[in-house]
Amino acid sequence: MNLLEMSVTVYASLTRHLVRSLLATLGIVLGIAAVVAMLAIGEGGRQEALRQIESQGIDNIILRSVKPAEGNAQQTTRSYTQRYGITQRDVEHIENVFENVRLIVPVMEVRREIYLGQTSTDIKAVATTPAFLKVSRCRLVDSRSRFLTPTDGKILDPVCVVGTKAARRLFGHRDPLGQAVVIGNVSFRVVGLMENPGGGRIGGQFELNNLVCMPLETATSLWGGITIQMRRGMAEKVDYDFLYLAAKNIDAIPGTAGRLRTYLRSAHTQVDYEVQVPYELLQSARRTQRIFTVVMTSIAAISLLVGGIGIMNIMLANIFERTREIGVRRALGARKRDILWQFLAESVLLTSIGGGLGAGLGIATAAAAEMISRMGGEAGLKAVVTSESLVVALAVSVITGISFGTHPAWKAAQLDPLTALRHE
Amino acid sequence: MTQPSPPALSPTPPLIELTGLEKTYAVGGTLIYALRATDLIVRHGAFLTVMGPSGSGKSTLLNLFGLLMRPTAGTYLLEGRAVSGLNDDATSAVRCKMIGMVFQSFNLLSHLTILENVCVPMQYAGIPRAAMRQRGKALLDRFGLDGRYGSRPTQLSGGQCQRVAIARALANDPPVILADEPTGNLDEQTGLEVMGIFQELHRSGKTIIMVTHNPAYRKYATQAVSIHDGRASET
Repeated sequence: MNLLEMSVTVYASLTRHLVRSLLATLGIVLGIAAVVAMLAIGEGGRQEALRQIESQGIDNIILRSVKPAEGNAQQTTRSYTQRYGITQRDVEHIENVFENVRLIVPVMEVRREIYLGQTSTDIKAVATTPAFLKVSRCRLVDSRSRFLTPTDGKILDPVCVVGTKAARRLFGHRDPLGQAVVIGNVSFRVVGLMENPGGGRIGGQFELNNLVCMPLETATSLWGGITIQMRRGMAEKVDYDFLYLAAKNIDAIPGTAGRLRTYLRSAHTQVDYEVQVPYELLQSARRTQRIFTVVMTSIAAISLLVGGIGIMNIMLANIFERTREIGVRRALGARKRDILWQFLAESVLLTSIGGGLGAGLGIATAAAAEMISRMGGEAGLKAVVTSESLVVALAVSVITGISFGTHPAWKAAQLDPLTALRHE
Repeated sequence: MTQPSPPALSPTPPLIELTGLEKTYAVGGTLIYALRATDLIVRHGAFLTVMGPSGSGKSTLLNLFGLLMRPTAGTYLLEGRAVSGLNDDATSAVRCKMIGMVFQSFNLLSHLTILENVCVPMQYAGIPRAAMRQRGKALLDRFGLDGRYGSRPTQLSGGQCQRVAIARALANDPPVILADEPTGNLDEQTGLEVMGIFQELHRSGKTIIMVTHNPAYRKYATQAVSIHDGRASET
């Protein structure tokens, strides 16, 4: 029997009991749907995590000053002065000792309000050096834009570069270049517009696209070498809020990060810093992804096992019910292998239909989950259905059909023609 | 100088030749003879009826003819070829191309149309779809079922179903048609109509081997076998 005839025969057999055939595929439909939906959500999460990590620069090590518990503060007369975080001494030590560090870029939070009219905004202002643009994986948006230059710092120029999101909020549709931004009563001229394509943050804190950058020297000359924030008699002293260290190459990152942690442990009496290594986070995300894949595969295997057993049951029932048909076909010239292929093809077609329906349901479920998670207007789940996951889902359906259809089909082929013909 | 004489033509072998064909079953250590050693020759174009009481071995003989069971002993030659010891594939090929079967209960596949039913043996013979459908329609037309190609067997009368079954038996144009009580499920009039079809097939050159209970059908036969307790004898 050729393939066309086989397809016609199989189609006729399956449509004979359409509802039963569809019910038989239910296990496969739900199994594949679950797999496709979870893979889509997992893939979305993975891509998002990778995007976040990579947007921080894979060859960077980022140090962040972390305020320790107040109990560790140094008490002086009636006021508190809390000094913590990354110090100038740390920067000098790293510069002198860490030969694999190519660039050191300090970032200081200016801690001055930026106003939009009379209203203060959550736009952050930071003071940094010209290399910040490169290490933060930002790019200039407008051809007229420029980033901070060494000269800006030397002449203490009150200029700034704004992120695209901050620019939209501050200036709307107006051209931001040449406009003034008032930061702590000082007017800064916008000389550049920058963007981080991944929507990343400095050390996971300040959104790069919602940032205003000014020269470190200008900020220091205006507001002193350290940032001091007074509240109820309390002062905080932080030299640098963040420190970007760009490694000479990726291979040097694990060793440099290890040495850095050892140094910081010895140089700081308290844990007032955090070491962020995007490369390590990436490795960790990949490990998590592998675990996720194993879990998903296990769930898929269990659901497909259940679905496959359902298919096998239905096929065995089918064969029992159609024993006489098998006898007739054998009497009319069908070989054992014709019967085997016919029932195997039915099983594979059933699971393939189940796989197709399941993939559709899985895509719909993933899309629904994404939509529901974003209902509040916040960033929620992201579902990404890859063509690979669909191919895998369909391949697995076919394999399930073959695996669980072979035994019933073989049983059908082995039936004695005469016994089958006499079957009531 | 003498003219060379033409080469002697080899005699055409009989269509079916059974020699000492026997079928036994062992039941609880006792040997049951379903068919005792039988010798029989059926020539091309014969109309053979097989008669006998129930349980005498008629169906066993027919099933042996149809290669649906293997004999315990003896040989079965079909057009001079020993067919009882063939493997499953070869046996299926012989059933497909050499033998057409008509059953008492029609054995049509109810989920297929009657045209599809007629096409089933042709599917296994590897005939292309278009040719298959064309031949299937021609056969149905021949038996007065034109315009009913898309009908299901459940929509037809018993006589019509048996005509579809006969059309199916002829699908691959086999030389021999085996019929197991083909009128057993039909009323007398319809039975006679069906017998008329077999008579017509016989006249067209087909060899018919028919198991029947009805002695009235003996008149259609050119050869008759009677079976009692597994012993077959030509009458």
